[in-house]
Parts: sequence; structure tokens; C-alpha cells
Amino acid sequence: MATYQEFIQQNEDRDGVRFTWNVWPSSRLEATRMVVPLACLYTPIKERPDLPPINYEPILCTRPNCRAVLNPYCQVDYRAKLWACNFCFNRNPFPPQYAAISEQHQPAEIIPQFTTLEYTLPRVTCPPPVFLIVLDTCMDEDDLQAVKESLQMSLSLLPPNALIGLITYGKMVQVHELGCEGYSKSYVFRGTKDLTSKQIHDMLGIGRGAAPGGNPQQQRGAPQQPHGPQQHYQLPSNRFLQPVHKCDMSLTDLLGELQSDPWPVAQGKRPLRSSGVALSIAVGLLESTYPNTGARIMMFAGGACSQGPGMVVDDELKHPIRSHHDIEKDNAKYMKKAMKHYESLATRAANNGHVVDLYSCALDQTGLHEMKYVSNYTGGHMVMGDSFNTSLFKQTFQRVFAKDQKGEFKMGFGASMEVKTSRELKISGCVGSCVAGNVKGQNISDTEIGVGGVSSWKMCGLYPNTTHALFFEVVNQHNAPIPQGGRGYIQFITQYQHSSGQKRVRVTTVARNWADASLNIQHISAGFDQEAAAVIMARTAVFRAETDEGPDVLRWLDRNLIRLCQKFGDYHKDDQNSFRFSETFSLFPQFMFHLRRSQFLQVFNNSPDETSYYRHMLNREDLTQSLIMIQPILYAYSFNGPPEPVLLDTSSIQPDRILLMDTFFQIVIYHGATVASWRKQGYQNLPEYENFKQLLQAPVDDAQDILQTRFPMPRYIDTEADGSQARFLLSRVNPSQTHNNMYGWGQDGGAPVLTDDVSLQIFMEHLKKLAVSSST
Amino acid sequence: QERNVIPPDGVETVKPNLAPDFKKLNCSPDIFRCTLTTIPQSQSLLNKARLPLGILIHPFKDLTQLPVIQSSVIVRCRSCRTYINPFVAFIDNRRWKCNLCYRINEAPEEFQYDPVSKTFGDPMRRPEMKSATIEFIASSEYMLRPPQPAVYLFLLDVSFNAISTGYLSSFCQILDDELDRIPGDARTLVGFITYDSSLYFFNLSEGLSAPQLLVVSDIEDVFLPMPDGLLTNLRDCKDLVKDLLSQLPKMFEGNKETNSALGAAMQAGLKMMTATGGRISVFQTCLPSVGPGSLQAREDPNARAGKAVAHLGPATDFYKKYALDCSAQQIAVDIFFLNGQYADITSIACASKFSGGDLHYYPMLHSVANPAEVERFENDLRRYLTRKIGFESVMRVRCTKGLSIHTFHGNFFVRSTDLLSLPNINPDAGFGMQVSIEDNLHESSTVSFQAALLYTSSKGERRIRVHNLCLPVTNQLTDVFSGADQQAIAGLLAKMAVDRSLSSSLMDAREAMVNACMDAISAYASSIPASQRIGTLPCCYSIRLLPMYTLALLKSAAFRVGVSTKLDDRVFFMEMCKSLPLNYILLKLYPSMYPVHNLEDKNSISKDDQMIPQPPHLQLSSANLDRQGVFLLDAGDEMFLYVGGAVSDLFCQEVLDKPNFLSVPDGMTDLPELENPTSERLRNFINYLQDQRPFHSKFLVVREDSKARMQFFKYMVEDKTEASMSYYEYLQSIQKQLKG
Ligand SMILES: [Zn+2]
Ligand SMILES: [Zn+2]
Repeated sequence: MATYQEFIQQNEDRDGVRFTWNVWPSSRLEATRMVVPLACLYTPIKERPDLPPINYEPILCTRPNCRAVLNPYCQVDYRAKLWACNFCFNRNPFPPQYAAISEQHQPAEIIPQFTTLEYTLPRVTCPPPVFLIVLDTCMDEDDLQAVKESLQMSLSLLPPNALIGLITYGKMVQVHELGCEGYSKSYVFRGTKDLTSKQIHDMLGIGRGAAPGGNPQQQRGAPQQPHGPQQHYQLPSNRFLQPVHKCDMSLTDLLGELQSDPWPVAQGKRPLRSSGVALSIAVGLLESTYPNTGARIMMFAGGACSQGPGMVVDDELKHPIRSHHDIEKDNAKYMKKAMKHYESLATRAANNGHVVDLYSCALDQTGLHEMKYVSNYTGGHMVMGDSFNTSLFKQTFQRVFAKDQKGEFKMGFGASMEVKTSRELKISGCVGSCVAGNVKGQNISDTEIGVGGVSSWKMCGLYPNTTHALFFEVVNQHNAPIPQGGRGYIQFITQYQHSSGQKRVRVTTVARNWADASLNIQHISAGFDQEAAAVIMARTAVFRAETDEGPDVLRWLDRNLIRLCQKFGDYHKDDQNSFRFSETFSLFPQFMFHLRRSQFLQVFNNSPDETSYYRHMLNREDLTQSLIMIQPILYAYSFNGPPEPVLLDTSSIQPDRILLMDTFFQIVIYHGATVASWRKQGYQNLPEYENFKQLLQAPVDDAQDILQTRFPMPRYIDTEADGSQARFLLSRVNPSQTHNNMYGWGQDGGAPVLTDDVSLQIFMEHLKKLAVSSST
Repeated sequence: QERNVIPPDGVETVKPNLAPDFKKLNCSPDIFRCTLTTIPQSQSLLNKARLPLGILIHPFKDLTQLPVIQSSVIVRCRSCRTYINPFVAFIDNRRWKCNLCYRINEAPEEFQYDPVSKTFGDPMRRPEMKSATIEFIASSEYMLRPPQPAVYLFLLDVSFNAISTGYLSSFCQILDDELDRIPGDARTLVGFITYDSSLYFFNLSEGLSAPQLLVVSDIEDVFLPMPDGLLTNLRDCKDLVKDLLSQLPKMFEGNKETNSALGAAMQAGLKMMTATGGRISVFQTCLPSVGPGSLQAREDPNARAGKAVAHLGPATDFYKKYALDCSAQQIAVDIFFLNGQYADITSIACASKFSGGDLHYYPMLHSVANPAEVERFENDLRRYLTRKIGFESVMRVRCTKGLSIHTFHGNFFVRSTDLLSLPNINPDAGFGMQVSIEDNLHESSTVSFQAALLYTSSKGERRIRVHNLCLPVTNQLTDVFSGADQQAIAGLLAKMAVDRSLSSSLMDAREAMVNACMDAISAYASSIPASQRIGTLPCCYSIRLLPMYTLALLKSAAFRVGVSTKLDDRVFFMEMCKSLPLNYILLKLYPSMYPVHNLEDKNSISKDDQMIPQPPHLQLSSANLDRQGVFLLDAGDEMFLYVGGAVSDLFCQEVLDKPNFLSVPDGMTDLPELENPTSERLRNFINYLQDQRPFHSKFLVVREDSKARMQFFKYMVEDKTEASMSYYEYLQSIQKQLKG
């Protein structure tokens, strides 16, 4: 048998699944003692170009409260043409079109390698996706010009049949009608008044027989057709959302003529910005015209909402936007009301299957902290930058429209996921960009983690790397042993609208062995995936941090870590030197150490917007990216050999080295003191120092590789010893040498870090002490 | 014996009986007249005459000649602020006595300077002393702020009903044609709001490649979609404006929205103009049905012929309040009513009445069904767009000590006792004021009225137009009667009757008119010896037409009962009584009728090398019509050519280009241009009449047997009808009452 390492990797490659435990404790009681919950990270539409195209509907178990999909773990009786459901043991006849199956002639869904399969539903065509731009115009000329150009560029990247719309806002909110010839037309709303979608519908004159200014051909065209629910994709065309191929020219012109918000801004004031109402109108417009249709609202904010519903700051510049400090002191006047506004918009958008992206580019905060719900609930992007006129924004935005090898968008719309479990398991919840769906199976745990109480979730927007954390509870009683060789099953059924207009269903079925923890704890611990566990714990901690006080979350994390050490460590009571952790657990404390220090849980050096942004990314990225976020990767470049990964530790900082740190959000190139001084003297420009030039170039090239592919594009920082931006590196490395201990220790020339934080070494010593202590 | 009371050359205009030098200098009666050209010395004498005392003024009338003075000082009485005028008395070259308050004032030295001859000397050579109507270019002390630019905002109804009338194309075409002739200068601003149940604004900012249409549907809480750009500089952005005008009709083609948010559009207009002031022109085709100021259809179509006429007053104070807000911001609201159905003119008109605007009404306007009305609309619109206009103006009428002005008629807001706030003044606006005598007028043999209109010209100049009317004073009742101006009296009675209709009832107003007529005649009767009264109706020549005018008023669309009259038609007529200059309202009330079947060159006047025949006036009685004849009836905004059944074939051929009467089609709205003297004479005459007025007259040929004949015959006010007396019967009833 392959190692667990290989098993885990294979499973991730095939199914996009990483479980905290790969052997499951077979009793409820034992499961609760595992400390790290039974959970997985699942990437529903992980890129699988190798999958065969399946152009028929999945075969479902006929038991009404089961409805699981036929999968390779099902027992098949080829002669009787029956299959046994591995979730409910119901024996199901194959449908007539499967009459020809045999051991030699198997349909894909029962071939063992296809535990993950994607069905393209025939006869279901989805309407083309809708893209609704919501653009802040309270920007300076350069920023506005940049974002306009990016939008104009994006028109060429959209599928020609996609529908597009434009809402702009400043003091007022304007919904632009597209396709007017000879003039431009927009509907203007006050930025201070929230409207229901019915009011928006009426005010936009949608559905009126023929509204003025409309395309006469359309008006006089075919008689009004009744819109029954069965043909909901034949929605009445409206003048605000038009096919790209019909309006790309006029929309390009429209964007071109767009000016900064014309309302005057007095000295000492912020512009009046109606982000809250703008978003509300966008949500309302789509809600009333394209419910349950793939659609995304792309909001571009150049500042904070300063009036109306959703305002996060008033227009007095002397009143700064709230900080974490203000929030802690309950001094953020508008925050709660604004959050309520955006959360309700988020819920509405999510329930309609609509995605909301937030592109926030400003030097000050824009209110992502309050607005985050709209992205978090709908699977929308959240991008944060200093200016729209940066490659960070421009490149990132371009990547939204990235295409796969088949030339199709790497984005799914209107997604929902249902989870089936075998009887020993129940579902506790999901942590990720989603809201509760409407399926309430029988496998729902009373213990809620994340979004619980359901067995299905709406995710609206899905990308190949979108990853959800799903939590399970073992409910099998100790006195009902599972037969030897019994396995537990979980099935993920994800339906989504593919950008091609197809309706697709991705089905992943996983199986894991059960083990009796009271007898075979070593089987279970051997199947521990400490990387998955670290990310699961990080997501859980961040989820808790949204509602709990910061110190409480850290204490919760510490407590769990200590308990895990106690449970799975080898030690003699009260002898901390005796503590040993097996290889499968050895990295976990270090992950927790870095997690505790990370911006996800330490908020006070960040703005609330930054915190929301970082947490948003942690909540949706896959395991690899998440781990980078928790514990950045550090590479060293020197004349001593090829580039090598080095410890995220102060000791890695050496004068003759160049370091490349990837925190996911930033790529930092740090030149050691000697290298920096050489660079300053311009040796790299001298022909005889070609190798120095190459040394300087190597990390830049490696950084480019990351910058080229990551979404969102990270911030690129080039710094050196004593450079002001060196803090990005220094704040993340383990402070093994600090100004407090360097005189006793610092013999090998590492750079001391000015911090009172404990180092990993001290942390570990404390941890061991507590773990072995008999008093806890 | 009282049959022919109108002289063939029309009703005479009474001139005040002044000394020749004053007579020559006095103000034109077309501008300024008084109901009594000889003023009784006391209120008790006035009471004996039982005639109404009041003045009628047409202050901004288009004038062919107007002396304009730009001098460093404008000479005014230090006590009562009267402008120096031809009727003051110079005691010596330096001192003058005010003709209104009698204060003796020093004249500044420059006043002896004659700007015409450029020499010093006699102050009597000054233009101020030589013309009763004069205009000053004012200095900065007459400004509260720099003179405003000309600002024009058009509010255009684009609801389903509006679009189906076809008016929008007419409007856009005419405005496009006249864009260069709109009064203004380099600062002139224009803007547009169209509306149905939503408001449509147009961003016409400089630099745009095409107009931007901004729709605001939130009409309950109106706001402007942008801070500026909605009013655009006409000179800099003319192409954009023209572009918009060419696109507007297309933009709203096929609009199915039937609701109208007039009130919201008006509120938005006010917001747009607050910073500048200016003119809002509204084109409304239906009842405002949604949003602020929305109205209900109040008229009961079955009660149109009844005696108790309801809903003469506004249904809401919204439009009046709105007008006052406009007035405070120097904005006037003019309204073009283009409605076929009831639109509640009563209520909406308040927006104009109190803001100094004017009203126009084109009932049943329709591009296909009613082209004649469209032609009238288009011609009037042309005039409207290009006529002179004054902005941010005020008018004050002063009068000689002892007289007191008390009740004002017209469209304005009375800002302080005698100061009329007129955000706009237009050349077609008339005003009336009632006057009482508070103290005996024995200090002088004459009294004077002075109207001063301060305004900003469309070129941004602050100007003051001053009119002076001087009248003799008498202590003799006979002088009072003989100086009575029966036309002015009729005009003033009409205005008073409108007020009475609103404050009391229509029937009360009718009774009051009858009584006023009766009172005057009986007062005159009792002033003459009994021997002269026998047999005939004792009426002096100067008020002989009073019964006829009274009867015409009683039969007019404003005051008639027993004849089906649409409420909007009635109310509009009333508004015209209040705000039209006297000449025009008289023409509407008692049209001119001429026999035109044998026009002659005899008595012709010559104008622009054309001979204009002057046929005699006929009284409005069917008895004056004959079957061989053809008659032109001129009722101001409409003219009829009535063709008798036995008209000669020759006339039909020469004038109508038809072989004979039977081939004259119904509904001819034009005369063919035929080259023969008969045709030319008639056309010259009709054109001459048309040229005398600022508005267009709809023209219709009516055959004796035509269905449209009632349109003509309704003007025969001397005839008896089912619902009203004939002139003869009316005279008899007066006589009977006199005896009784
Ligand atoms: Zn089943
Ligand atoms: Zn005086």
C-alpha cells in the first residue's frame, strides 16, 4: 500500500478532497476525543480536464429520502441489472438504456477511477450569464480612466451572448440603458433611499408594454409571450441588460464618456458615495429580472459609502473611518447598521443565485468590513488594492476572465452543493463562501459548525480553486460496531451553470475506512492530515473570530492544540523533555504558532477592511494556498548554491542572501545587507559581475511566476535590510532572535527582530510543558 | 332706435379731456387707460356715478418707438420716488413739483442737458419731459444681484396622450427654427425636462458627443440627477441642443405611459432654476395624475349646462404654493394647455397666475384631426419663443395723493402693498387695478398715474420702463359720465366678475355685472331731467355700449349658463379676462364683424405698398347677415368667413377658387392665393387684421349650411337663444327696471 502521503495526494488529485482524518473513528465517543474534528476541504469544480464528457443525467437512488448518485462504490448485479446504493442499501434497477451493461461494458460512473465525475445535463440550457457592473465614479481621473479601460477590455473577454449591464454611482445612482442610438440614457436614483426590488422594477419601467426610448424593433416585435415558470430562461429582455455582442460598441463609448461624479465636494468633506443603494439596486434589478439565473455583480469601489443605507462613514473628513480599536470600544457608529444592510443584500443575492464581486481600490478603507457579506455569501471575489491604476488591479481583473484549455471561463454560476453521508455520519456544517441551501436531509447534526442545519448549500459563484470546509459528526454508537472492512461514504453533488450555458453536475463520492479508536488509535493517527487539519482549524478559528473576542479564539486554539498533543503525543507525565510527536503531527504545532501570529487572528496592525479581505481569501482558497497564507514560504538565494527553501525564521536572514517570501498576499524580495549594498553600488551593471546580476534576477523571475498566475495578484515588494518595507518580512518570520535574546544567542549573524512575541522555540516549550502536565 | 350703436369705423376710444399740451404728451390708451377719463373729485361724486373706477395697463407692449435714456442720474421725487415725467411742473429751471405728492424737488444740473441737441438749457427739452412712456437703463443701485442671464426651461409632457397629439414634433421643429432668435446673449441658458409618470432630464454639458437622458422615477421626492449640465449655454452647446430637438420625438415615440407627473416635473424645474431665475414653459396635455400636485377629474360632463358651476377654484393649493416658491426665485411659469380632455386648468393655472407667467390653450390639438389648431399653436409658439422678455421684474403703479389703488388683476404676486412681483414680464400681459378716492382731489386740476416696470432685459441690462397717464379732475357728474371709457369699464367689470365667480358663485357674478350696468344707467338717468327720459333708454353716448358688453359677457364662455360649456374652456376664458390686454379681451368678448363681399378701395389705408380696405363694422346680430353676403368675423384667436347661401358665383370663383356656393367645401382653413383684386383685397384685409395682434387667429370658412355654423353663430351675441335674451330684450328689461 502506498504511504498516507501518497494516498492523500492521490485523493486530492482525483476528488479535490482533503480530510483531517483519513481513517475514521467508528464511534461517536471516540470521534469527539480526536480534538481535530472530522472534516474535509472540498474543491467542487477542481480542474479535471482528463474527465470523460458525460452527456446524460446521473442515475439516482430511487429511495425518496436518499437520492444518492450511482457511483463506483455501489455493488452492481450485472445479471439482474440492479445496483445497491452504498448510502441506504436500497437495490435499484438500472434504467432501460443501461440494459447492455456487463463487467466488460461498464458505464463511467461505476468505473473505480471515476469517484469524481461531471455530468452535462442534456436538454437543459441555461440562459447566458449576466454581468452587471456597479461602478463608483467618485474617483480621480486617473483611477476612473484605469477602471474604465479595464472594463472596456473585459468586454472583449466576455462571451458574446453574455448579458451586460452598467450601474454607476456617486451621490446618485444611475442605471444605464444600453443600446440607445444617438443618445445615452440612464435612470437616476437618490443615493439615500433604499428601494425594494418591486419599486426598482417599476421605476425602471421594466415590463411596461413599451417604455419610451426603447428599441422600436423590440417594442413592435413579437407579441408579448406569457412567461410561464417552465420557460423562465426566456425572460423578458430588458434595456439594462443586453447581449455583449449587441452593445459592446455603445457600452465602450458609454464608458468612454463617463465622468467623475459631478457633484461638488466641499473642503474637508468626503464625496457623497452611495455604494449601499447602488448595490441594493443592482441586487434588486437582477432579483426582479433574472432570479435563479447565473449572474454576477461586479462592484468597483474607490471609497467608502458615505451616505444612505450602508454608509460606513460620514462625509466629514475629520471623522476617520472606524478602526479595530473603534470596533472594540463599540465606537463604530455606522457599522452595525451597514452590516445589516449588506448582509441582507448578500442573502438576497445568494438566494437568487447571484454573485457579487467587490473590487476595492483606495488608499483608505472602503468598508469591506461591512460589505464582506456580499462576497462571502455569494462566492464573489474580493479584491483589495490601493488604486485601480495599478497592475495589481488590472492584472487581477483580467484573470477573472481567464479561460481553460477549452476556451471556457473558469467560473461556474448559480452553484449549489448537496452532501450525502452514510448512516454513521451526520453533517455539522460548512465554512466557506456559501449560504444555507434548502435541502434538509436526515443526516444533519445538532452540532453546528459554520453554516449548519442543512445538507445543501448555495455557493452561487464557483471557481476551480474554490474550496469549502465541511464538518462531520460520527454518530455511530460505540455499542454498534462496524463490521471489519466497513467503510463510510460521503457524496458531494454540485450543480452549477457552466459558462458555456450548460447545466453541469459534479459528483464526488469518497470512502474511508472505519477504525475502532479504542483498539487501533495508531491507524487513525497515521491517517491524520496535519495540513488539512491546520487549514480546517484556521477556518474554524476565523469563523469564530467573526463573532467572538480575539483572545477567546486564541485560547480556544491553544486549548485544542494542547489537547491534541496530550491525545497523540508520546510523553511521560510531567516530563516535558520526554514529549515526542509522530511525523504525521510534527508540523501541526508550527502551523498553529504561525496561525496565532497571522493577520487572520491578530488584527491590530491591520484595518478592519484588511482583516476582512484576508479572512475572505482564507475562506475560499484551496489547501495549498491556505497553508501559504498561514505559514508563508521563504526561499533563499545566494552564491552558495541553488535557491532553497529555508525556515521562516530570523536565522534565515543573512547579509549575503536574497530572500523571497510568499505570503499569498505579498511577494517580498528581501536583499540582505551585503547584497543590498552591492546592488546600490551597481555591480550588477558591470560585465564582470554577470553572476551577481543573475543572482539578483533569479528571485525576480520566480516572483514573476507567482505574480503571473495567482488570483488576486499579490502585492510585490522589493526591499532590503533596513528598508522600511522589510517589516513585511520581519513580521512574519519566527522571532528566534529578538532584541531580548540576541546577546545571549545571536552568534550566527541572523537579524534580530524587534518584537516581544514569543519565538516558536519558547512556544513549543510551553506547549510541551502544558501537554505533559498532569494538572490539565 | 338703439340698434346701431357701433360706428362703422369701430368703437371710438375716449381720450381724456386735457389741455392740449398735456393731451399731446399723454400715454397711449393702448398702454394705459382708466375707466373714467375724467376723475370725480371725491368718492361721493364717484358713488353718484356708480361707475367702476380702475386702470388697465399693458406695460410691456411691443412698441415701435420708445425713448431709452442712459444717464448717470434718474430723476425721481425725493418723497414718493415718482420718476420725473411730462406732467410735473417746473417752478424754475432747477425745481420741479411732483405731480403725485406735490413735493418740490431740486433737479440735478445735468437735467438741463439735452442729450439730443447735446446742449444745456431748458429742462423741458429732456426726453423725460417729452414722452409719457420712457425707458431708463438703470444703474447698479437698481440691482439686488448682477442681472441674471436669460434662462429658459421647457417642461414637455411626453405621456401617451401627449405623443398622440403630435405636438412634440411641432414643438421641436419650431424651437429648432427659432433657436437663433430667442432673446438672450452669450449667457443664455436652456434646458429641458420631459415627463410622463417619470421625469426625463437631459444632460447637455459642453463636450458631450450626444445628449444624455437621465430618468428619475422617484417622483414623490423629486431631486436633480446632476448638479449642473441640465441647463446648458445655448451659444456654446447649440449643436447638442439641436441634436436633442431632432431626437426628442423619436425618443418617446410609442410611449404607452398614460400618467403625468406634472407637479414633480415642475418641482424639478424649480430646483434647476433656483440659482438663476428665468422662465419655465410647460406643455401639458392631460390631467396630472401622479406624484405631487396630482389631480382628480372633477368635472361632471353632465352638468356643463347647469347654473351652479362647481370647481371654479383650485382643487389644491399645491400650484399656488409652487408659484410663490418660483416667484421668490425669480422664476415665472408659462403654461401651454394642449388637452382634449379635462385637465383642471383651474388648479394648474395657479402656477402661472402667481408667478407672473402666462397661459395658452389649444383644446383638441391634434396633428391629424385638427391641423388648424396645430397651425395656431405653431404660430403662437413662434411668437412666444421670440417675443421680448423681461426677467426678475417688479412693477409699481403710483398715483396722485388722494387716490388709492387697491385690487389688482393679472398674473403676479403682490409682494408689498403696491409692488407686483413679476419674475418675467412679457409683451402680451395685461393688468388691471381698482382705484378708490380717499381724499378730495382739489389740489390740482389733474391727477396722474405712473407705472414703473423694473426688469432685466434678455441682454442682461437692468431697465425701467415708465408710463404716465394724466387725467383731468371734475366736480361735475356729467363730466364723469361723458368721460367714461365704456370699453375699459367692460374690461374691468369682466375682471371683477371673475373674482366674484371664485369668491362667491358664477350666478352672483352674473348678477353683479347686470347690476353694475343697471346702476350706471340708472345713475345717469337720475342725473338728467325727467323730461329727457321719456320713451328712450336714458343712456349717454359714452356708456351706450355698456348693456351690449354686459350681454356679451353674460353670453361668453366664462359666464354663460344654460349652454354646455367645458369647465376648462370656461376657466381659461376667465383667466384671459384677468390677464389679457384690453383690446384682445374686447375682441374675444365682442368680435368685429365686417361685410366682405364687396370690398372697395375707397377708404383703404396703405401699408407696405398694399391697399388695405376698411369695411364697416357690423354689430353681432344675425339681422346684419344676408344670404347674398360674405362676412368676416374676427374673434381674436379665431376668424370665420361666413358665406351666405346666395353668394355670387363670381365671388366663389374669385376668392375661393370654386365655381359656386355648392362646391365650397366644409372646413376650408385658408384662402387660395388668387390673382384678382377681390381675392387680394380680402386677403390683404385678413392679413392686416392678423398683423395687428401678437397671436395667431385660426381661420375657417363657414358655409351658411355648414355643420360648423354654430361656431360662428355663437358670437351673434345680440341674437336671442334658448338660454339667453337678445340685445333688444335685454335693453327692454333694463328699461322696465328703470321705470319700476
Ligand atoms: Zn440510496
Ligand atoms: Zn412725489
